[in-house]
Amino acid sequence: MTGRRRPDGRYGVRDHVLVLPSVVCSTNAAETIARESGAVHITHQHGCLHVGDDLRHTEGALIGTATNPNVGAVVVVSLGCETIQGRRLARRIEDAGQRVAFVGIQAEGGTERAVAAGRDAVAEFRELLDAAPAEPLPDDAVVVGLDRPDDALRAALEARGWQVVDAPEGLSAAESHVALAGAGAQVIVSLRGAGEAPLGFAVCPVVAVGRDPAMYAALHDDFDLGEAGVDEVVARVEATLAGEPTASERRGARDFVLHRLAVTM
Amino acid sequence: MTELTGYRRANGTWGVRNHLLVLPARTAANRAAEEIADAVEGAVSVTHEWEGLPGDPDAGLVARTLTGFAANPNVGAVLLVGIDDGDRPLARAIAGRGQTVHLLAMAEHGGTAGAVAAGVGIAERLATSIAGWEREPMPLSALAVGLECGGSDALSGITANPALGIASDRLVAAGATTMLSEVPELVGAEEILAARAINDDVARRMVAVVHDFERSVEALGVDIRGAQPTPGNIDGGLTTIEEKSLGAAKKAGNAPLTGVVDFAEPPTIPGLYVMDTPGHDIEQMVGLVAGGCQVVAFTTGRGTPTGSAIAPCLKISTNTAIFERMEGDIDLDAGAILTGEETLQSMGDRIHDAILEVAAGAPTCSERRGNREFAIRRTHY
Repeated sequence: MTGRRRPDGRYGVRDHVLVLPSVVCSTNAAETIARESGAVHITHQHGCLHVGDDLRHTEGALIGTATNPNVGAVVVVSLGCETIQGRRLARRIEDAGQRVAFVGIQAEGGTERAVAAGRDAVAEFRELLDAAPAEPLPDDAVVVGLDRPDDALRAALEARGWQVVDAPEGLSAAESHVALAGAGAQVIVSLRGAGEAPLGFAVCPVVAVGRDPAMYAALHDDFDLGEAGVDEVVARVEATLAGEPTASERRGARDFVLHRLAVTM
Repeated sequence: MTELTGYRRANGTWGVRNHLLVLPARTAANRAAEEIADAVEGAVSVTHEWEGLPGDPDAGLVARTLTGFAANPNVGAVLLVGIDDGDRPLARAIAGRGQTVHLLAMAEHGGTAGAVAAGVGIAERLATSIAGWEREPMPLSALAVGLECGGSDALSGITANPALGIASDRLVAAGATTMLSEVPELVGAEEILAARAINDDVARRMVAVVHDFERSVEALGVDIRGAQPTPGNIDGGLTTIEEKSLGAAKKAGNAPLTGVVDFAEPPTIPGLYVMDTPGHDIEQMVGLVAGGCQVVAFTTGRGTPTGSAIAPCLKISTNTAIFERMEGDIDLDAGAILTGEETLQSMGDRIHDAILEVAAGAPTCSERRGNREFAIRRTHY
């Protein structure tokens, strides 16, 4: 297994350039940049008129996604007048050890110029990332996120020498994926029960395990595994670490759902 | 002056666009909805963060929002992409508003790939069926225009907002509906609006909606000044929320206030309304469109590309510098009032005419660019 060694010593098992809108108002520009340059992007509805803890939490969630080790570089796309100021967000991502470029729609002078600048920034990062060779992935550098507690699975993953991080309590599965990405998980194992459809995440492969036979049968294409034993899940995580795309990656799902702490002003 | 034309819907409402909306019922259907809309000429989609989890206390509010958005008369037909039978109530609610809706349940197609394959065929049939609608002369009483501002600066309350107010007054006088929103940005202006209410009940609601907001902020234990005015507002020369509010309220001109409606609630008779929305540009735009606005007029000082997937958003700059700088993102420049090229009245007339031209089919900057920002309003945390 190989990975991409990051400047902070962590390893990515994917090598994404992430186009990150700092605010909902720049999501369309971010999407255009990503589409025209082959980068990944997230779409979200936040970034403006947050207060108190909700502001800090939202900024933290965006920084967490941007600094996930699967992300080799980030292009922050800002509008300019938003509460979560794009320049400050970019600086904080950079301070966390990530490569980052800043593009502001108001600063560049409109969508068209911002999209052109964003495309150029992605292309430069892509060249830089592609020039770096993949390196052997040490087992103790692997971090697997679990979106629902499962002691047997955790023990089996840890037996491989991998770290396992659990989702914080009180979050929905999609919200927990943001938290797990922020905690440095390179792969997320999503354990889905009755009535729960599989989800994806832009920067992390999600291994979706359908533990409810009816739901698995109904949506089998979007699951990676059905009622699988622990060993099968571990084997699928290993294949994913080695580069095999998950169902979420094949369909391009990037379901960003932010846990909010307060109402929008 | 442009003759107003539109698409007369079976339920008596009038659209000024004729979109096929591919709407995901829940987050897990986002990808399938996007792929279907990408593959079908004339289809538009939005994506969102509503997971539809059992017991979510915002379920009613979100259902009203999604239903109202899908039922907007600018939408000729809806392909609702859901997961399973759990999405049937939303499909029924949309149909209950007189909208053509087809529910595509991913669970009946093995997942995204199968749903997309089936959905493209259904969407193509729906697109063909709505292509038969033709524009006809539309009464002004059937037009509702949202009045929004985003990225305000010190000139907002002097140029673009009062000019939009003049346009709003003309529309209301001619029998149309206009809707002011963003309650946090009416803090300090509530008494001015209440004084124009058509009766005491509306006046009381106007004051109450602002005071309820202020109390909810106090209950959070936060200072609204942490969010309002925004960093961009301050860079643009605004100093306090009250100053921002007095400028924001100018968008509503001087017409009598006919009513105060809840988020995404359509008004029943024409006139000027205030809708209870947050200041967040996109949450309020979605609320206005879900409340039946076919056009949104949007003033901006700092400049923004904002647009809706289904409603033309006519953007008006408060200053010429940002209009020129953000070429292709802003439709009209009210900065011409400062240089004396236009008066408030002549600019108001220009905005009025532009609203009718846009309603009659002229594309806005955001439509040309394909902007389709979307956000779901939540109130429980």
